Amino acid sequence: MIKSYKARRIIANTLIYIILAVMCLIWISPFVYLLLHSFRGEGGNVTVNYLIPKTYTLQNYINLFSGAGGDASINFPRWFLNTFVVACFSCVISTISVLAVSYSLSRLRFGARKKLMNVGMILGMFPGFMTMIAMYYLLDAMGLTRTLVALVICYSCGAGLGFQISKGFFDTIPRALDEAATIDGANKNQIFWKIILPMSKPIVVYTVLTAFIGPWTDFILAKIIMGDVRENYTVAIGLQAMTTPEFIQGYYKQYLAGSVCVAVPITILFLRMQKYYVEGVTAGGVKG
Amino acid sequence: MKKVLAILLAGMMTATALAGCGGSSESTASSQGSGSAASGGSVAADGKVDASMFGSETDITLKVWAPDKGVKLAKEQVEKFKKMYPDVKFKKIDVVAQGENDAATQIVNDPNKAADVFSFPSDQFNKLDDAEALAPVATALKDSVSKNNDPKTVDAATMDGKLFAYPETNDNGYYLVYDKRVVTDENAKTLEGVLKACKDNKKEFIMDCGNGYYSCTFAFTAGAIIDGFEEDGETQKFKEYDEDEAVETLMAFARLMKEYKGTFKSLDPAQITSGFQNGTLGAGVDGSWNSKADEDALGENYGVSALPTINVNGKDKQLISMFGYKYIGVNAKTKFPRSAQILANYLAGEECQIERAKQLGWGPSNLKAQEDEAVKGSATLQAIAAQSKNAVAQVNIQGTFWQAMGTLGSEMLKDGWDPENKDATKKLLQGTIKDVRDE
Amino acid sequence: MTYVEYKQLNPFQRFVHNFKKFFTNIPSALGRFISACGRGIVKFFTGIGKGFKNYGVTFVKGDWATKLSYLIFGIGDLHKGKTYKGILFFLSEVLYALYMIFFGWGWVKDFPTLGTVPTRWESDGFTEIQIPGDNSMLILLYSTLTLVITAIIFVIYIQNIKDAYRHQVMRANGEKPTTLKQDAQEFLDGKYHITLMSFPVLMISIFNILPLIFMILIAFTNYSKQHYTLFDWVGLQNFGQLFDVINSNKKAVTFIGIAEWTLIWAVVATFSNYILGMVVALMINKKGIKLKSLWRTLFVITIAVPQFVSLLLMNQMLQENGAVNIFLGLFNGGHNPGIRFLGDDVWVARITVMVVNCWVGIPYTILSMSGILMNIPEDLYESARIDGASPVKTFTAITLPYMIFVTTPQLITQFVGNINNFNVIFLLSGGGPTTTEYFGAGKTDILVTWLYNLSMGNEQDYGLASAIGILVFIICATLSLIVYNNSKSMKDEEAFS
Repeated sequence: MIKSYKARRIIANTLIYIILAVMCLIWISPFVYLLLHSFRGEGGNVTVNYLIPKTYTLQNYINLFSGAGGDASINFPRWFLNTFVVACFSCVISTISVLAVSYSLSRLRFGARKKLMNVGMILGMFPGFMTMIAMYYLLDAMGLTRTLVALVICYSCGAGLGFQISKGFFDTIPRALDEAATIDGANKNQIFWKIILPMSKPIVVYTVLTAFIGPWTDFILAKIIMGDVRENYTVAIGLQAMTTPEFIQGYYKQYLAGSVCVAVPITILFLRMQKYYVEGVTAGGVKG
Repeated sequence: MKKVLAILLAGMMTATALAGCGGSSESTASSQGSGSAASGGSVAADGKVDASMFGSETDITLKVWAPDKGVKLAKEQVEKFKKMYPDVKFKKIDVVAQGENDAATQIVNDPNKAADVFSFPSDQFNKLDDAEALAPVATALKDSVSKNNDPKTVDAATMDGKLFAYPETNDNGYYLVYDKRVVTDENAKTLEGVLKACKDNKKEFIMDCGNGYYSCTFAFTAGAIIDGFEEDGETQKFKEYDEDEAVETLMAFARLMKEYKGTFKSLDPAQITSGFQNGTLGAGVDGSWNSKADEDALGENYGVSALPTINVNGKDKQLISMFGYKYIGVNAKTKFPRSAQILANYLAGEECQIERAKQLGWGPSNLKAQEDEAVKGSATLQAIAAQSKNAVAQVNIQGTFWQAMGTLGSEMLKDGWDPENKDATKKLLQGTIKDVRDE
Repeated sequence: MTYVEYKQLNPFQRFVHNFKKFFTNIPSALGRFISACGRGIVKFFTGIGKGFKNYGVTFVKGDWATKLSYLIFGIGDLHKGKTYKGILFFLSEVLYALYMIFFGWGWVKDFPTLGTVPTRWESDGFTEIQIPGDNSMLILLYSTLTLVITAIIFVIYIQNIKDAYRHQVMRANGEKPTTLKQDAQEFLDGKYHITLMSFPVLMISIFNILPLIFMILIAFTNYSKQHYTLFDWVGLQNFGQLFDVINSNKKAVTFIGIAEWTLIWAVVATFSNYILGMVVALMINKKGIKLKSLWRTLFVITIAVPQFVSLLLMNQMLQENGAVNIFLGLFNGGHNPGIRFLGDDVWVARITVMVVNCWVGIPYTILSMSGILMNIPEDLYESARIDGASPVKTFTAITLPYMIFVTTPQLITQFVGNINNFNVIFLLSGGGPTTTEYFGAGKTDILVTWLYNLSMGNEQDYGLASAIGILVFIICATLSLIVYNNSKSMKDEEAFS
C-alpha cells in the first residue's frame, strides 16, 4: 500500500517535472531566439528561414552603439542615457508621491480622506489615452514638449493615483506602533520617517522598481512628445522606430541587439527584486 | 487650505507661461507679410529665384524634414542654397530626419513644431489639406514649377486651381524585380512566364495581395480604375468598365494563384530582400524604396522591369498599378513664408533632383532631369518610368479603398476560392466596389 | 440560509455559495448603487443649500472686516492679526484678477461658440500667407484651465470668509490667532496629510484632472479631421452615432462589434490566465517538487522583459515565415506550413492573440498565487493531518477553496485591466485583420485600441474617441461598483465565520 502510494507520488512528480520543463521551454524560447539572433553573423539585416544562427559576431552590438551601418539619427547610447536619466528622476518623484499619498490615506485621518480615495478610484477608471492630447498641449503651453523634463512629468504626474497596493501594505502595520510613538512625543512626521518607513522596505522597493521600469517600456506618449527630435528619444521609441518599414531593412539585427540591451538590465533588476515584489503584491493585494 | 493656495499659485505660474505663448502665436504670420512686394520678373524660366524675392525676411531660421536616407544629401543641398544668396541673412537652416510615411501625421499633430519645408508622398495630400497644413506654391513661382515638371505630378497636386506643393519625384510605385538566374528578361514580360520560371526553379514569387496598395493592381488591370471623387467630394468614383471582361481578368489572376500555389506567396514586401539574400526567391513585386537593398542583395543578377502582362482569354493585358509621387511642401504655419517657398523651390529644382537620382536612386519629376544621363542609365529608374505609364495616380483616395482592395486580394488567395466560379467572382468585384464607395 | 447552516458547510461549498450569491446579488447591488447615487445627489444639493445659508448668516453676524472679506480677500485675517494668511488670501485675489484680465477672459468669452473666425490667406505679391483664425482646441483647453482656476479661487474665497469669521469669534472669546511657527509645527503633525499630499494632488490636478475635463468636453464637439481648427458643440451626436443601430450607422456597427469582442476578450483572457496560472502555481508549489525558485524565475522573465520587446518579437515570430512556422515545419519534414496566425482569418487571429496573452499573463498569476500559497496558515494542514485526511482531500478541502476565496477580488481587477489591455492587441496584431465593416478599426481591435486609432492613429475623430473613452469608463465603473458592493458583503460573512 505504502509502496504504491510512493510510486504514485513519484509518477505524479515526474509528470509535473515534464510539464513544467515543457512549459518553461515555451516561455523561454522566444527570448533565447532573440538572444541568439542578436549575435547572428550571417544573413544580412533580415529574418532568416532557420532557427539557430550559423555564425556569431559582436558586430550587431558594435554597430548599435557606434551608430555605424546607417546614418547618425540612430543614436542608441544617447537614447539609453536619456531613458536612464528620465527613469531616475521620475522614479524619485513617483516614489515620493506614491508613498506620501498611500501613507496619508492609510494612517492619517482627515475629513476629505474618503472623498480623495473615491476620486482616485474614479480617475483610474478612465482610459489613459483619453488625456494624452490635452496633456501634450498643456506641456506645449509650458514650452516643455520635445524635452526630457516633459517625459519626467508625464511618467510621474499620475503616480499618486497608484496608491492602492502600498496603501494595502501600510494598512497591515499595527496602529499600536503609532500610538506608542505619539505617547513618546513623536509627531506624525517623525513617525513616518523613523518608524513606518524603515519597516516598509518591500513596498518601497516595489514602488521604486515599478516607477523605474515605466520609462523603459512606454513608447506611445514618448513618441508624441518627442516628435522629430531624435536625440531626445528613449530606447522604447527608438527601438519601435527601428521596426518601421523605413528602417527594418537596415536595422533588423541592431534592433534585436538593442532589445537585448534593454531587456537584460531590467530583467536582472527585476529578478533581484522579485522577493520584494512578491511580498509587496501579496501583502498589499490580499488586504486591499 | 494651504494646499489650495499652493495649487492656485502654481496655476498662476502656469498661466503666465501660457499667456506668453498665446500672445506670440497670433501675430507671427502677419508680421512678415508687408515687405517690399517683389515683381514677378525675377523668376527665371528654369525656376531660379532672385535674392530680392526674400523681401524683408532676415535672420532666417528654417527646419527641413528629409527621410533618413536623404538627410546627408539634403544638408549639402541646403549649404549650396545658402551660398547662392550671399546677401541674404540666414541664421540657421536645420535638416532633420523624419520618415516620410509619418510626415503628415507629425505635421497635423503639431504644425507649430513641425518643419517649414518637408518631403511627403502624394497619398498624404488629403490629410494635410483637411488640416489646412499646406501653404500653396508661391504665386510667383507657380508657372515655372508647372512648366518644368511632369504634368501628371502637377495635376495630382492641384486642387481648386491651386498648386499645393512642389513635385519632387515621379517614382513612388512598384514594379517587378527578379533574379536573373531564375527569371530571364523574356520570362519577365508575362506573369505566366515569371511564375513558371519560379516554379521550375523551386523558387517563390512574392506579391503582398492582402495589402490594398498592391492588390488594387487586380482591380485596375480588370478595368475598375478610380477617378477622383463624386460630386459630394467623398464617394470614390470609378471609370466606366466592362464588367464581364473585368470578371474574366480577375478569374485569370485567381487561376494563376491556384495553379502556382506554394510559389505565389502573399508576404510583406520586406521579405523580398531577405528572400533574395537567402536564395529562396525568384521574383517579386517591390517598390522603389527598396531598390537599393534589392540591388545589393542580387548584385549582377539584379533584374528589373515594369510589371508583366497577364493572359486573359488569349489576350495579353498589361498590369496596371498604383503610382504615387513625392512632393516638397511648405508648412502653412512657417514664420518665414518667402524663404521657405524659395528653399522648397530650390530643393525641388532640376539640379537637386538629378543629385537625388544619382545618390539615392529617386526618379525625378522635373522634365529636364528625366532626360539626364544618370536617369537614363539606371535600369530601375527606367522600369519605374515604364510602369508609371501604366499606372493610376495615388491621389484623392478614400480611406475605405485600401481595406476593400486588400480584402479583394486575400479572398482570391484563400484556399477555398474557386477561380472558375464566375458568379462568386462577380459578387466579389461588386462587393469590393461597394465597400470602396462605402455604400 | 441561516448562519448555522452556513457554518456547517465546508469551505468549498461556502465558496460555491458565495459565488452563486455574487451573481444573484447583482440586481440588488445595482439597486443599492442607484439609490446611493440618488442619496448622493440629494446630499449634494442640501449641501449647497446649507452653504448658501452659512454664507448669508456669516455676513449678517460678521463685523466690518469680515464683511469686507466678502469683497477683498484676507481683510478679516489682516484685521485680526493673522497677517501672513491675510496677505496670501489677498495675493491670490490679485493674481486671479490679473490672470482673468490678461489671459483667462480672452479665452473664456469664446467658450460658448468655440471661436468663429476662420483661417484665411493673404497674398503679399510673391506668395500667399496664412492668417490664423480662431483655434477651437486652444479656446477649449484654456477655458477649461480658467474654469478649474476659478473653481479653486471660489474655494479660497469661501475659506477666506470662514477664516475671517473664525478669527472674529476667537477674538470675541479673547483667544489669540496662532503664529506662523505654530502653524508650521501643525503641518508636521495634525495637518501632516496636507504636507504630504499637496504635491501629488497638485500634479494630478494639472496633468490628470484638467486634461480629463477637457477630453470629456471634447466628446460633445465635432473635433475631427474634417473640423480641425474650428469645431463646434454638437451635444450628444457622438454618443448618438455609437448607438444608432437602427440606421446601421457604420460607427454603431463598429461599436457593437468591438464592444462584443472586448467583452469576449476580457472574459477569456481573465479566466484563462487565472485558471492556467493557478494550475502552474500549484504544480510549482507542490510538496516534493524541487528547484521551486528556478521554475518561478523562468516564468517571471516574461514579466521582466518590456512588453514592446516581447510582443513585437512575438509578432515577428508569428509571421508566415517566422520562427513559429519554421519550428512547426520541423515536424512536417522541414516544410514550412505557412500558417497565417495574424493573417486575415478573424478567429485564427483572435485565438492567436488570446493564446499569446496567456504567455504574457500567466506569470503574473503564478507570482501572486505563489505568495498566497505560502501564506496559507500551516495549522490548517496540521489539523487536517491529525484528522487523517488524504493529500487529495487536503487539497480540495483546504488549498483550493482558500486560494479561490482570497483571489476572487483580484479577478475583477484583472477583468477591468483586460478591458484596457492596450499593449497585447496594439503590438501583436495591430488590430488586424482589417475590415471594411468597421470605422477605423480591425477585427481584433478592442475599445481602447480603437480609441487610440481615432485619436492618435490614422483616423482622427477626437470627439468620437472621447465618447468611447467615457463609455469605457462607465463599463469599468459599473463593474467595479457591483463588485465593491458584493465583496463588502462577502467580507462581512468572513468576519463572523
